[in-house]
Amino acid sequence: MNKNLLKPAGVIVTLVALVCSAFFALPVSAQDDCPTAKDSYVIGFANLTEDIAFTQLVREGLIEAAEAAGNVELVLADNRLDGATALANTENFITQGVDGIIHFQTDAAFGNVIMSRARQANIPVIAIDIPMPGAVFFGADNYYAGELAGQALAEWVNENWDGQVDAVLMLELPQSGEIPAARMQGMLDAFQANVANPVPEELIFHLDSKNTQEEAFRVVSDTLPSIPDATRIVAMTINDGTGIGTIAAAEAAGRGDQIMVVGQNADPSGQEEMLKENSRYLGATAYFPENYGAKLIPTMIDILECRPVPPSVYVDHVFISADNICDYYPENWPEHCGEVTAEAQATEEAGS
Amino acid sequence: MNRIESAPLPVPRGRQAATTISLAATFLILVVFFAWRSPNFLTAINLVNLASTLAIVGIVAIGETLVLITGGVDISVGAVAALAGVVTSVLLLNYGWPSIWLCALAALIAGTIVGLTNGLLITRFKINPLIATLGAYSIARGLAFVLSGGQTNLLNDPGFQFLGRGAIAGIPFSLLLMLLLYALFWVVLNHTPFGRNLYAIGSNREAARLSGIRVNRHLLVVYAVTGLLSALGGLINVSQLASSAPRSAVGLEFTVIAAVVLGGTSLSGGKGSLVGTFIGVIILRILDNGLTLLNISSFWQDVARGTVLLLAVGFDQIRQRWSEREARRGQ
Repeated sequence: MNKNLLKPAGVIVTLVALVCSAFFALPVSAQDDCPTAKDSYVIGFANLTEDIAFTQLVREGLIEAAEAAGNVELVLADNRLDGATALANTENFITQGVDGIIHFQTDAAFGNVIMSRARQANIPVIAIDIPMPGAVFFGADNYYAGELAGQALAEWVNENWDGQVDAVLMLELPQSGEIPAARMQGMLDAFQANVANPVPEELIFHLDSKNTQEEAFRVVSDTLPSIPDATRIVAMTINDGTGIGTIAAAEAAGRGDQIMVVGQNADPSGQEEMLKENSRYLGATAYFPENYGAKLIPTMIDILECRPVPPSVYVDHVFISADNICDYYPENWPEHCGEVTAEAQATEEAGS
Repeated sequence: MNRIESAPLPVPRGRQAATTISLAATFLILVVFFAWRSPNFLTAINLVNLASTLAIVGIVAIGETLVLITGGVDISVGAVAALAGVVTSVLLLNYGWPSIWLCALAALIAGTIVGLTNGLLITRFKINPLIATLGAYSIARGLAFVLSGGQTNLLNDPGFQFLGRGAIAGIPFSLLLMLLLYALFWVVLNHTPFGRNLYAIGSNREAARLSGIRVNRHLLVVYAVTGLLSALGGLINVSQLASSAPRSAVGLEFTVIAAVVLGGTSLSGGKGSLVGTFIGVIILRILDNGLTLLNISSFWQDVARGTVLLLAVGFDQIRQRWSEREARRGQ
């Protein structure tokens, strides 16, 4: 047979096959190429803990996003701030045959073991806030989140204290490693870069808040006597609770008007504190945990359907203060935001 | 009746006085050291700070001292303190109770109920105090989370804040309240049959029972009082912070037990004093305050706290064994 005659025939057959597959067989072909793609998915979500408002909002957001997706069933678990529990939850997810795992777990040392078990079972993993080797990272841009708060505080100091500060209190969480450290460093760096008169190192106090209001209260109470002449004190805190404890300590010492505080998270208690009359809580960087789910579920579906996903997906951050809280959380403070809206309308009418 | 005669007697007052003196010496050494190392330690502003932050641990430690003297232990105190704060804020903010003081009263009752339950579990159901109060710890902490939904609640009532932040003639109100309670319970422990019976129960429960002491009733009262005092500590905490949180007072039980043991109260019961506990509370507080003033890392503060506790209790044990040996030789 003449080979030259077969060549065009082969080309035609190939073209016809391609056209046919494009019209009739594309979904099947995509599923063949992507073995994890299915009509519906079971996704395991292990929360950091169910004890704090932040993570409760993460869980609620995920449930909403799963319902909105329509083809996702969530299996929930609680890692209880414990690596061993996170590993046990991973084993349970594998036994239950989940298609993907979203892990919010605190113990970096367990990350390798968890990922090894997930890899053996061919289950993709997204790690929230604490990276795990081989998992897609989803979470806060902690340094940037810190910078937003530090910059806002510096601007307030420049406007109200002529850029002068007598002492800086850093309410940290050293036992939790790099992530809170990045937030604190971001706050301090941005504050020093933006304040008119940067504060010398010997006037910066690094205090361990142990992530509780009481401990923040205690360490600030014990530090204030060592700076008796300081009348312009700023504090940067790891979260809202430690910010509230810091303010309480300054007030209890009769020095409430000498301090201005910024924090992280902007949870409901922090929002309430910043809305108080003559509040000493300037504001906090929001992480919008309620929106995590709206990004996490589509990201997991992208992974399962073999679409490209970046190795790190970051959440949005905004510095929330009394000035802009109604733009982001109007439903939390209807009275306050109603007044703000009325005032704005009145100003607009007077202007026109 | 031989068993009654052979029952160990309460600790001789001389030995207790020696423990108190060695504690006072530890206290003085710390004061001198921190005054030498930090110019801010003995300032008026710091002494007021120290005085106004003693009450929470101090008041809860009264109850724990009574419990340890009877040979028991209560590790639910921190959780009860947290529950009391949450009950107050939830009743006020979520249920619209008309007065925060009414809510605080309900919180005190809740704390007493948890304490009574502990006492019932230990006396009627013969559950080991560690297990019974561990269960109560878990239930009280869990309830605090359920009631609050995991949220921190702000309480901006100036009248209520007086409890934790107010002062009378420059003396913190919480300190005055604590001193009053120490005086009251010192009298109860040292000058009433009830107090002496607690030592007898802690020394030998069976002997105490055979000698006619109503052991179960005494234990019920002791655990109920501990619950009540824990709740009061929780209320002072809420008042100082102007907020309540279900995660508050985490680890309070360990600080309290450390202060009580440091004060010379025996974990095996039958021995201890409120004066010792009072000094133990002050020593731990001074240690925290002084190390913070010296800008020592919090990790090293933990190491220092543990070391002082072990040294103080260890030296006291060695001294007691020494004096017991001397007494035997004398006989």
